[in-house]
Amino acid sequence: MISDGMAEVLRLLQRDEGFDAAADVAVLAAVTLGVSGLTVSLATGGDRAELMWCTDEAAGSFEDLQFTLGEGPGPEAVRGDAMVLVPDLALVRPERWPALRVEAAGLAARAVFCFPMGIGAIRVGVLTLVRRTAGPLTDGQVGDAQVLAHALAGRALGSVVPGPNGAAPADSADALLHAVVHQATGMVSVQLDVSLPQALLRLRAYAYSSGRPLTDVSRDVVARRLRLDLNGNGDGNPLPVSDKD
Amino acid sequence: MAREQQLTKVFVEVADSLIDDFDLIDFLQRLSERCVELLDVAACGVLLADEHDVLQVLAASDENTRLLELFALQYDQGPCVECYRSGRPRTNIDLADPNVSQAWPEFTPAALQSGFLSTNAIPMRLRGRVIGALGLFQTRGNTLSDADTALAQALADVATIAILQQRTLAHSETERGQLQYALTSRIVLEQVKGILAERWQVTPDQAFAAFRAYARSHHHQLSHLARLIADGEFDTEQIPRSPRHR
Repeated sequence: MISDGMAEVLRLLQRDEGFDAAADVAVLAAVTLGVSGLTVSLATGGDRAELMWCTDEAAGSFEDLQFTLGEGPGPEAVRGDAMVLVPDLALVRPERWPALRVEAAGLAARAVFCFPMGIGAIRVGVLTLVRRTAGPLTDGQVGDAQVLAHALAGRALGSVVPGPNGAAPADSADALLHAVVHQATGMVSVQLDVSLPQALLRLRAYAYSSGRPLTDVSRDVVARRLRLDLNGNGDGNPLPVSDKD
Repeated sequence: MAREQQLTKVFVEVADSLIDDFDLIDFLQRLSERCVELLDVAACGVLLADEHDVLQVLAASDENTRLLELFALQYDQGPCVECYRSGRPRTNIDLADPNVSQAWPEFTPAALQSGFLSTNAIPMRLRGRVIGALGLFQTRGNTLSDADTALAQALADVATIAILQQRTLAHSETERGQLQYALTSRIVLEQVKGILAERWQVTPDQAFAAFRAYARSHHHQLSHLARLIADGEFDTEQIPRSPRHR
């Protein structure tokens, strides 16, 4: 169950115009999660990450450090597709992150919790919570953080494209429960020779511009009744099967 | 084979799987197939709740997209959702019953259209908490006895243990982490079905059959191999394509 505080954060996130104007939302999220600060890094291809949210210097420095060093709970969460919870950095085996251990000693970060943002093999980035004091998150806070990471991933992948006149987006939140959407994402990535996140964005953009639900568009792609072209348009006609290679 | 023999076989399989590094999705799929044999049902699916308390399909006895979609329809209605919320099994639900179609107006016709006459849902429980449900469908209108229901519950408990036992490449230090990793693995698998289907110009179902056959015969974990393919780190030309491929 999501806490009332996190429900409010998600509401603000929906209403917000862009990542840049979201600083207040980030601070509210940190308060709700009971931590001193948080960062959101977006993967921008390769291992480089772009800092999109950063509530304070301590959290930002920690995030910079672990991505510069290439080790730490954040990179580990991204590589492993699983959250990494470190209630007390002082108790981590020294050999786990040897460089980080030395470099982070001067930072006001005692507990760190990292939540990967992504959809299947699509890795969008990572949400990192930093606390000055040691101690675990509560089960409710872990749940809240997961929901936030999921919402931020969806946002980065264009799931909250506002409809015309502020209407609801063309696809509902449950679209990602459908196997067919993920299958279509894989197919489009091969057809257009783009990454999986790019492919999902193209599908969403097409669904949005044609005013049809994402699941319907995906079904057409999987049944090969629709093929997106490089501009993200579909001609609505079945294509002659092209002989690749 | 007598039921006792079948059961013994299942539990030996389970013990074997859980000792070694095992692939969760593949394991749950085999378990679903065993459910079909042991319980005399036509189809079985394993559904797990995500962080939004929404049920997602992790594995099904028959990996065809149509069946997966039928389970996916149960995100907000259907016997599995009710079972997940109440924590109690719901058995022998007659899909032709007007009360049933009224209660679940989207799910019921879709299930009937797939040829199912009745359905059952068994909770997956973890120390008093419900984490998902086992969905069972029948095509002949036969019923589950009390003994069948008890056996189904035992199999649901095995599925729960398996989810929490998976040793992932990552350090999943918490139960929530384990559940999330399982759900992510499932999505990667669907994305890879699409990638292979397009590369080979076959349906996703055919692509999956070839992919699974290759993974099993080469002792690759399905989830791990799927991740490698999605990341472009595995040459898929090594996989023999489905026999139906021209």
